[in-house]
Amino acid sequence: MTQRTLGITILALLFLGAVAIPFTGNGYILSLFYTSALFTGLAYGWNIISGYAGYLSFGQITFFGIGAYIVAIGTTRFHAPWYLCALVAGVFCAALAVPMGWLMLRLKGPFFALGMLGLAQSLRISTDLIPWTGGADGIYLPPGSNGVQVYYWTLAVLILAIVLTATIDRNAFGLRLRALREDERAAGTLGVDTTTTKVKAFILSAIIPALLGGGYAWYLTYVEPSSIYSTEIELQTVAMAILGGMGTLWGPFVGGILMSQISQALSTKFPQTHLMIFGALVVALLLALPRGIVPTVVDKLQGKRKPPEPEPAPLAQTEVVT
Amino acid sequence: MHLELVVQLVINGLLLGGVFALAALGLNIIFGVTRIVNLAHGQLIILTALICSTLFQRFNITPLEVLPLAVIAGMGVGTVLERTLLRRLPEHQQTAETTSLLITFGVSYFLIGLSLAIFTGDFRSVGYLTSSWTIGGVDIAKAQFLAFALALFLAAILAVLLRSTPVGRALRAASQNVDGARACGIDIDQMRTLSFTLGIGIAAAAGCLLSMIYAYNPDTGSQFTLIAFSIVVLGGRGSYAGSVLGAALLGLAVSFVGFYGNTHLGSMMPYVVFILVLLFRPQGILGKAVA
Repeated sequence: MTQRTLGITILALLFLGAVAIPFTGNGYILSLFYTSALFTGLAYGWNIISGYAGYLSFGQITFFGIGAYIVAIGTTRFHAPWYLCALVAGVFCAALAVPMGWLMLRLKGPFFALGMLGLAQSLRISTDLIPWTGGADGIYLPPGSNGVQVYYWTLAVLILAIVLTATIDRNAFGLRLRALREDERAAGTLGVDTTTTKVKAFILSAIIPALLGGGYAWYLTYVEPSSIYSTEIELQTVAMAILGGMGTLWGPFVGGILMSQISQALSTKFPQTHLMIFGALVVALLLALPRGIVPTVVDKLQGKRKPPEPEPAPLAQTEVVT
Repeated sequence: MHLELVVQLVINGLLLGGVFALAALGLNIIFGVTRIVNLAHGQLIILTALICSTLFQRFNITPLEVLPLAVIAGMGVGTVLERTLLRRLPEHQQTAETTSLLITFGVSYFLIGLSLAIFTGDFRSVGYLTSSWTIGGVDIAKAQFLAFALALFLAAILAVLLRSTPVGRALRAASQNVDGARACGIDIDQMRTLSFTLGIGIAAAAGCLLSMIYAYNPDTGSQFTLIAFSIVVLGGRGSYAGSVLGAALLGLAVSFVGFYGNTHLGSMMPYVVFILVLLFRPQGILGKAVA
């Protein structure tokens, strides 16, 4: 229990510091913190469907993009306050995630991963076909210094995502998700309603990027298909969550903060080659710590107290003989 | 004339399908033997195409002259890739699947960065053989035709290699049944490496041919991974004839929808086909039902 209290205290202090950032009045520092909070939040969103439920998705950017466009259209066409539009985007994406998840989550492994990537790509391409989006020209939002507002919004969404994940991490729903990840058929036999469970996880993983995307549009004051349905944002998010530790409560936090700082430091030091260096780093870390930073560190710490668990029997081998 | 238009669209679609087939064959060979979906496949194709465009612009070396070297270099890259990064995967099949997806995903990220650093994000193409033949009111672009013919030629060589040589038969055996193949004394590790050697070699060839008929920048790589993967899914996993058929069908779909709908709908076809096939006929056209 003391460990938990310590964790909460450290986290509270961190957020107190994060809340104080805009008072420094330094735009550069604000943008650094905004980016970290944004990516960490996205990594948390991704972690629910891909980390806990084990459905690796390369297309959660779809919801981020839809969120951004809803805010852009809402504020320019209907002159609605942006945060209201962002909330609408969250609700809309939650509703959209039901049929989409029901359809797409029948696919497994690489087929789901690439299917989601394809969905994001087709949405990017088809922006021209949707009215009010301005096609490839994009939409200009009312200009202004929106940094501080969006920063607090993003922090709030991040806290929401962490609280949500903390709840899932210890409740029965989270257990069902993990059962699904380990063996979907077995989970089904044990009475887990697999379809409902994974669609619910998918909905949660859609709401968070939608809320963040809404803020992002207001922050950038300009939306355009390729910068909104951005492959780079998607790839970075996935890399951060994986390197931190998929399916863990603190993995996205560690991965998100650490990797977004590294990524930003690289992009200022090596403007030409930073993506390449980041990519090489991702591969190297994947090979060195295949399960991510958090599970590896936790194992190291606990290894001193607990004896290692016995190796599970190789089930796959026995099936083959027949 | 209406008929001429249809013939034109069919020809355009089939010519496009030829290069698509090459992109998909490489992916299919790798997937067949190793069950690894190489997410970096499209990036490798585009990287080759970008190199071709630079060589053409700077030194006036045509993609056809680059092709043999590119295939050899691609085979080298494929071998190294498998030997260094994808050799030791976990035993458990689902974990192995996830790990290999993540590693090839990391490689594709690295390759996007590499291509952007060297070639910037500008769209490029090779202005080689830009004229076309006109036969009975139907235009055949020379570059498209050449790319198509070479793609078919390479696919035929590959077919002979896979069907009639001992190594090719071993590779197909490993693809059909790993344990059976191992029991017959086939070195599975060697076959895994070989599948990458061949697969990436073919990807490099596809990149050279593609450079003549497409405009591309480093970001288009993931599109080609998806196109190649949707063809593999459409034709049937592990079925090489299926890949060629799937590529032709997809080429036709892009060509017709692009004309009668619009170009945006046309370029969406790979994803639409991919999702529809997976949902309604997951084993593909020529594939066998998966247990």
